[in-house]
Amino acid sequence: MIGSRSRIAWRGAEFRLLFPILLLVPLGFVITNIALAGAPEVGDLTLAVGYVLLFAGAHLLLVVLGHRGDQLILPAVGAMGGVGMIMLNRLPQDLAGTSAFGLELGMAATQLLWFGVGIIAMLAIAVGLRDDGILRHYKYSWAAVGIALLAATLVLGYEVNGARLWIDLGPVSVQPGELLKIVLVIFIAGYLAETRTLLTSASVRIGFLSVPPLPYFLPMLALFGVVMLIVVRLNDLGTALLFFGIFLTMLFVATGRRSYVLIGLVLFVAGSFVAYRLFGHVQARVDVWLDPFADPLGAGFQPVRAIYALGRGGIFGEGLGQGLVTLGGNLTIPFVHTDFIFTAIAEELGLLGAFALLGFAMVLVFRGLRIAALARDDFGALLAVGVTTSLGLQTLIIIGGNTKLIPLTGITLPFVSYGGSSILASFIMIGLLLAVSHRSGTADRASGS
Amino acid sequence: MTGEILRVLLLGLQLGFVALLYLVLMRFAGSLLRDLRSAEEAQMSSRSGIGRLSVLESPADEPPNGTTIALGPINSIGRNVNNTIFVEDDFVSANHAMLTFRGRSWFVEDQGSTNGTYVNGHRIDRPVALSFGDELSIGRVRMRLDR
Repeated sequence: MIGSRSRIAWRGAEFRLLFPILLLVPLGFVITNIALAGAPEVGDLTLAVGYVLLFAGAHLLLVVLGHRGDQLILPAVGAMGGVGMIMLNRLPQDLAGTSAFGLELGMAATQLLWFGVGIIAMLAIAVGLRDDGILRHYKYSWAAVGIALLAATLVLGYEVNGARLWIDLGPVSVQPGELLKIVLVIFIAGYLAETRTLLTSASVRIGFLSVPPLPYFLPMLALFGVVMLIVVRLNDLGTALLFFGIFLTMLFVATGRRSYVLIGLVLFVAGSFVAYRLFGHVQARVDVWLDPFADPLGAGFQPVRAIYALGRGGIFGEGLGQGLVTLGGNLTIPFVHTDFIFTAIAEELGLLGAFALLGFAMVLVFRGLRIAALARDDFGALLAVGVTTSLGLQTLIIIGGNTKLIPLTGITLPFVSYGGSSILASFIMIGLLLAVSHRSGTADRASGS
Repeated sequence: MTGEILRVLLLGLQLGFVALLYLVLMRFAGSLLRDLRSAEEAQMSSRSGIGRLSVLESPADEPPNGTTIALGPINSIGRNVNNTIFVEDDFVSANHAMLTFRGRSWFVEDQGSTNGTYVNGHRIDRPVALSFGDELSIGRVRMRLDR
């Protein structure tokens, strides 16, 4: 075991997949630069090269440190992030950025900086988390951390677009909700791993439904209630929907009971109805979703523009750098760099590009569930399921919102949308996945042959 | 004129970009399939049951010659039809032997049969651990334990 830990692990599949992806990013930059300049010149490729170096470095470090985790998730992340970087580099750079530490960074440069921070966090977790005791045994401490994060947002947070999500920390603003997501997954995984057998064996029957025994269930339900309450207070519907989905999925995976899912769905429908009746902004969202053209210049402005952009893109797209992102100095779609990044990609790369992006997300989810299935212990499996559900559901919710499949809720597209907290949180999740798969990888080697 | 050339150049680059995108996706699909297949094989070898018996010689053809019998964790062998493995042979006792999987390995134990149980040609007088590939003789019936 000690020998295998320090030995180099050639991650061949990862290399073969990363290589073309890392060609893709500079190519995308070249195309956008030519299209924007209107002349056949390569232009500034610093950020593309930086991106390539980041992922190549991550791959190299995993090889040198002898990591035996999954080899497909890092390339999948690289592909999603690469498409995102190309788009962010193409959008007007003054949409966002930092001016901290005497540095003036545009949007894409800031995003690249966060990719660097995220990759370092991912590597630290993937390599450093040899033992998950620190996550499993201190689950109530993690729950406390989560509640503290929320309370901090409630007290110190300031509002952006009707949702109070942000905390100002000097040079950077952070979204505690993103980190809360991870803490919540760790807590639920720890709790369910411990009480799983109790939850599945004992039950109270009401009619044809077998209901979980309440005492085993109460702490988690209570915590979840607190989370939901505060999330609703913060007007962040997307996150509420996401948390609910993660919770239900993990519960189902841990217990294998359909009744839990059924109860959860009933609760969800009831909760949605109550929220619709009670909160004006929920009602507004649903109304806009049902008929954005009722008020195309007011409430429906964003979705209407998004639909037009998707239509312009068609199957093959307008071409990178040739979409109608700005019109007369204004963005055609507000928040195109965060909530509507998928629309921008679909406009310039068309249905083909959008499908490819979905394909990469699918690979990520597939591998995440595979890691869960191969995990050695219940905690690792549940952790992997929770993290994967979080990333997958987030993708589903925001792309569904962009394409008017479901009401729009502001949430980031993992690895693609602009946003430091989101990038960091997503990379931490990938780090957890890598750590879990590394443990089952070494177990295979120890027992096999 | 330069505008035309630029448009063609951009179109070509764009096509290359999308092609590369799908090439990557195909490679992903290839890797996924390879992994699935190897996982399937690993499962076939390890989990498709804990073992089976191949019938090498069976004079009365019950169990039929050349067939394999999938094994559960506990298997009784004998001429009585209530046994898990029913053997039709005059030299086999009603309740002849017991074949059990305990922990990580197989064991065979004679149940006080008249003519005895043989492992690789040696008569056994106590429970004996079997390895895969060992030959088990009960009466005139010969069987081999396989994975």
